[in-house]
Amino acid sequence: MDAVLAVEARDVRKGFGPVTALDGMSLAVKPGEIYGLLGPNGSGKTTLIRTLAGLLRPDAGEVRVLGLAPRAAVSSGAVGYMTQSPALYAELSVDENLRFFAALEGVTDADARVEEALRRVDLLDRRRATAGTLSSGMRTRVSLAATLLHQPRLLLLDEPTVGVDPALRRDFWQHFRSLAATGVTILVSSHVMDEASRCDRLGLIRSGRLLAEGSAGELVARADAADLEGAFLALAAATA
Amino acid sequence: MSLRRAGAVARRIVLQFRHDRRSLALLFVAPMVVLTLVGALWGSPATNTVRVVSAGDVDPQLFEALRGTEIELTVLDRDAALDALKAGRADAMVEFAENAATVTVEGSDPTRTGAIVGQVQAALTHLILEVPLAAFVKVTYLYGGPGYGLLDYLAPVLIAVFAFFFVFLLSTVSFLRERTSGTLERLLATPLTRGELVLGYLGGFALFALLQALVILAFTVFVLKVQYRGNLATIFVVEAVLVVGAVSLGLAISAFARNELQAVQFVPLVLLPQVFLSGFLVPVDQLGDVLRAIAAVLPLTYANEALRSVMVKGYPVTDPLIVRDIGILAAFAVAMAVAAVVSIRREVA
Repeated sequence: MDAVLAVEARDVRKGFGPVTALDGMSLAVKPGEIYGLLGPNGSGKTTLIRTLAGLLRPDAGEVRVLGLAPRAAVSSGAVGYMTQSPALYAELSVDENLRFFAALEGVTDADARVEEALRRVDLLDRRRATAGTLSSGMRTRVSLAATLLHQPRLLLLDEPTVGVDPALRRDFWQHFRSLAATGVTILVSSHVMDEASRCDRLGLIRSGRLLAEGSAGELVARADAADLEGAFLALAAATA
Repeated sequence: MSLRRAGAVARRIVLQFRHDRRSLALLFVAPMVVLTLVGALWGSPATNTVRVVSAGDVDPQLFEALRGTEIELTVLDRDAALDALKAGRADAMVEFAENAATVTVEGSDPTRTGAIVGQVQAALTHLILEVPLAAFVKVTYLYGGPGYGLLDYLAPVLIAVFAFFFVFLLSTVSFLRERTSGTLERLLATPLTRGELVLGYLGGFALFALLQALVILAFTVFVLKVQYRGNLATIFVVEAVLVVGAVSLGLAISAFARNELQAVQFVPLVLLPQVFLSGFLVPVDQLGDVLRAIAAVLPLTYANEALRSVMVKGYPVTDPLIVRDIGILAAFAVAMAVAAVVSIRREVA
């Protein structure tokens, strides 16, 4: 029997009034894969991720997350969603924020999990700090830590490394890689090319549609471009 | 429905309050400050002295007759008397002619005018009859009593209004911040359900709302020394159902605001009709049909009716009227909680 796809979207359409955010989007992500969504602002990356997180209902098409309807997958605690801007309670300490999210996800060994997540994002020494006093990069790290607490099988990361310095970004990716090795699937949106090149597969999206898909090397070769950025621009122009 | 997750939300709200000392202080200190002012205003024995000026001389016997009454008579010529009336130094001017007396009152404040006219008329009648009024009119009290003042009458309503107002404002703004800061979206991408979220909010806020209700009640009864008849526990039960409804209403209303400025503008919209129509200023049964229909859907109408019946008339919690009012307030709280759940849509553009 085939392994259940981690993410499956078939011909998904979603509009907000006159704006069509997803226009026949189809996507398949295998378990343990790191899949990058690459596309310009307004291309539908966030809408797709929010649909997968069970926050938006598609107007048409079908979405399965870990073989379930998105909300059912989220309810089972198998999904970790990191929003584009950190969603934290400014008055609470880093520790209190994480413990709150751990409780919502039903994490039993919260002490150990919070500590591990904080070590992962290199913020153990700031755990008593009030979230509102942290720099935006630090808040992003806390937000990532909150996403990792319950050891989800699917991570939905919406531009996770915005405002994170290069050294820490490298650490993040090492961690993503080690999670993927244990079977965790990661769907990450980005418009940073260096980050995109670290994904197993990439989907180039524009105007709510998948334009091209493949590893970074394949995309560069297909577009006969010098690098990923060139490939992205060439492929986008060719299908426009 | 997981009580553990709802409990996590409630605990988080308590934690947020603990970190936000200013809001906490406002929640408990603000009602006391306002109640103190109101208490000083309505609780002090009002000066009932009516300052009467007569235009022209009067029979010296009159001074003797007015001794011991609340009428303070001064004799002036007509122009000076009129000036005194205009300047507010006098409440009424009397002109005696043969067997008649003409009383001129300032008349701009209808509440005072009635009292002044009444007192002057009573004093003059008493003068003509040459019999003390008290000799043939004996007053006894079904409720209240001779020492029962305006504050005693208004206190039940003040308790309700303050308990309702502060908690409503706070829950509206807090829940709105959850919506606008992006944390609501993050919460909805966890196993937490909308019902659990609202229940958690109700739990967290109800804790502070009930503490505040307790403080307001204790302050009114023990510091302002408002007279009350009924059981304090009964008063608290009515207050408790009311404030839980205020929290639910705040959660539901926050769906209609896009930012804090708009949320604050909902406060007068929700509060003022309740202040005017719930029996605070005018008894509900004296309102016109339309206004009475509006009053019938306002929670404060039932809270006021119940609190007044308990505090002023000493009704027990088992009285059908009190049971009915508590039931209506509880139904309101549940209806608003359901509205709040419905207002949280996963689908937010």
